[in-house]
Amino acid sequence: MSKNTEKIGYACAYTPLALIDAAGYTPYRILPMSECPDQAGQLLHDNLCPHVKRILDRAISKDLPEIHGVVLMNSCDAMRRLADAWRRVRPADNIILLDLPATADDAAVAYFAGELARLTESLSEWSAGNITNSDIETSLQQYNQLPPLFAKLRERSRQGKLAGGSTRMQTLYNEAMTAPFEISERSLKQALAEPVSKGPESNGIPVFLFGNVLPDPEALTFFESCGARIIEDDLCTGSRLFTPIELGENQDLLLQISRSLLTRPPCARTFDPGQPLKMAEDILTRTRASGARGVIGQTIKFCDPYLDRLPAVRETLRQAGIPLLLLEGDCSLRSIEQQRTRIEAFIEMMR
Amino acid sequence: MMYQYFKDMADGIEAKILQDPDLNNPRRKYALETARLGSRLYSGNNTVAWCGLAVPFNLLNVMGITSCFVEFVGAVLAATGTADPFLEEAEQAGFVGDTCGYHRTVIGAARKNIMPEPDFLIATTCPCSGGIAIMENLAAVFNKDLFVLNVPQEDSEQNVAYLADQIGDMVEFVTRHTGEPLDEDKLRQAVENTNRTRKIMEDIYQLAQNVPSPTDGRLLTNFGLVMPLFCGTEAAVEIAQAYKDEFTARVDNGIPGVPDEKLRLLWIQNRIQFNNPLVELLEKEYRANIVSDELNDIFWDPIDPQDPYPGMARRAIAIPLNGSIQRRIRHLQKLARAYSLDGAINPCNWGCRQGTGARGLISEGLKEIGVPVLNLEVDCVDKRNFAEGQLRTRVEAFIEMLASRPRPAP
Repeated sequence: MSKNTEKIGYACAYTPLALIDAAGYTPYRILPMSECPDQAGQLLHDNLCPHVKRILDRAISKDLPEIHGVVLMNSCDAMRRLADAWRRVRPADNIILLDLPATADDAAVAYFAGELARLTESLSEWSAGNITNSDIETSLQQYNQLPPLFAKLRERSRQGKLAGGSTRMQTLYNEAMTAPFEISERSLKQALAEPVSKGPESNGIPVFLFGNVLPDPEALTFFESCGARIIEDDLCTGSRLFTPIELGENQDLLLQISRSLLTRPPCARTFDPGQPLKMAEDILTRTRASGARGVIGQTIKFCDPYLDRLPAVRETLRQAGIPLLLLEGDCSLRSIEQQRTRIEAFIEMMR
Repeated sequence: MMYQYFKDMADGIEAKILQDPDLNNPRRKYALETARLGSRLYSGNNTVAWCGLAVPFNLLNVMGITSCFVEFVGAVLAATGTADPFLEEAEQAGFVGDTCGYHRTVIGAARKNIMPEPDFLIATTCPCSGGIAIMENLAAVFNKDLFVLNVPQEDSEQNVAYLADQIGDMVEFVTRHTGEPLDEDKLRQAVENTNRTRKIMEDIYQLAQNVPSPTDGRLLTNFGLVMPLFCGTEAAVEIAQAYKDEFTARVDNGIPGVPDEKLRLLWIQNRIQFNNPLVELLEKEYRANIVSDELNDIFWDPIDPQDPYPGMARRAIAIPLNGSIQRRIRHLQKLARAYSLDGAINPCNWGCRQGTGARGLISEGLKEIGVPVLNLEVDCVDKRNFAEGQLRTRVEAFIEMLASRPRPAP
């Protein structure tokens, strides 16, 4: 499929970027970063996820680049409502809402592969082209180059050897979420080619940051100004989006994409019924493995998938003797800055 | 405590029915069956499954499982004025007050050992993310096996097949836990009963559409939500028939549910479960009758007794709280026309993202056909912040506005 410069908007880390790329589009993540007036609450409700509301605000205010369509995932109630509201405010847009199972058993994987087939058909229709298996394979191989690049940069950042540290990492993530693959790849390789930073030793306390949506690079700078050094993250605007799609021989491509997406380090909305609340143990495991001395959970307000699992996280970390600070924000730096005292006190407690 | 509550309730209702067996009191029969279900849940003598809303309960009834959606407990605790300590327990444990009161009550009750220990749990992704998260928590609290039904959003061949297959897997899951295979003959009979109940419920709702309506603001409270728990049983058929007979008699004899009915209202999603003066205020002071509840409708086709799983899947997918808001609005508009409604009340249950999250779109959708909506912004379960005075003022203003408009033609 020939490349064009048109964009397809998306909003969730479960979106199969390679399929959008295979259709000849640039996947463009609609990040909740704008100064648009707050209008979404009138169409939906004020007590709804600020991530979704800010995305909708951008749509209402036409604060979006030209997009040829939008791919939304039924990852949670708020995302479903976003799809509904999008149809209302931008009725001429191509839009598809994919059903995303809450579990990753074989039946769910097969079902989601069917949804990916539906997406492929829609993308073909929108592009007036035909997406072949070869197109998909090419795009998959291409996008699979990003996770190892990110992994190397994360390691460098963890060691304090990346100029700009976690703030720079988030800038690179944001570019990879919104720019064509070639530009992202170039930026990542350029960053890796830089001489290893010999910046001053950070005396920041190593912290594992988990949560959902935190795309503002200045937020990471802010955490560091409070004395934290983010050495590991699990955010859907961070490492979670860029994990490799495992490709095996002679297997259905869409099935492989489905399995990889559903079994990657999950957002709280995906879980294993056989191991309820395993998310808490996973956070503990990653904290220990990373060498972090504390954990900051940064979630957006009104996010039920996280809100209803955080008590288990709190209890698990408490029993393990690992300090935890839970923060709620509205995707804006301002909402986090208001919590400076709490963050500084948390870090100080660990010194 | 809860077992005794339900047992006393059931005994009391049975005694009243025996006093006057010829008196057709459908609400009493409905309440009796609800109390019996509660007794069975809490007796400790039955195989119990806590479930999500969209589970095919008739199937579980056939398999001898005493099952219920977890929000039922939240509603009962709210109705009996006993939810507060469980809400506090949940909040102490870290379940913030921004989340759904039904779920906070339930998780608090589980932590305080008020929820009967289930033998297993069956969650559904419909209607909401919060619901399935609470089921995951309950599985951890009780340390019991959890099965999940992923309910797709739209009715398509692929989606129905996926959910139907999952229902088949659910049956195997239940069989593994009980050691009892599904009795196909009993299932066929239960589906036939379900279809009979369905038809009678259609008739009930048809009768309620009369002007004036034979129902009032209480008779059908929670009806559409709770009746699926009894579906498949003879009791469900009897309850439905009692309602139909009552409404038929009222219509035939010109007995309205609310004397001198002046305004007809739709209640969106869930009722306020704790004791509150709203219905009395509407009826006594304004002759405003809640003639329709959004979930009191038949939105599913009869199920094929020979091949029931696809029909059960379609029913789950068709639940108004599933799928797009556009579909939900079309359903609300249909109800508005069928019931000749003057207005609608949306409680906007605090913490309800799937429902209340679309408050603005729903208001727009009903306004399109000339039906104003009052958005209350209350917690339907947690009465601690309930401001009766404010609610009264808003309801009064809304009703006065409605009363000043020309009435829609029946």
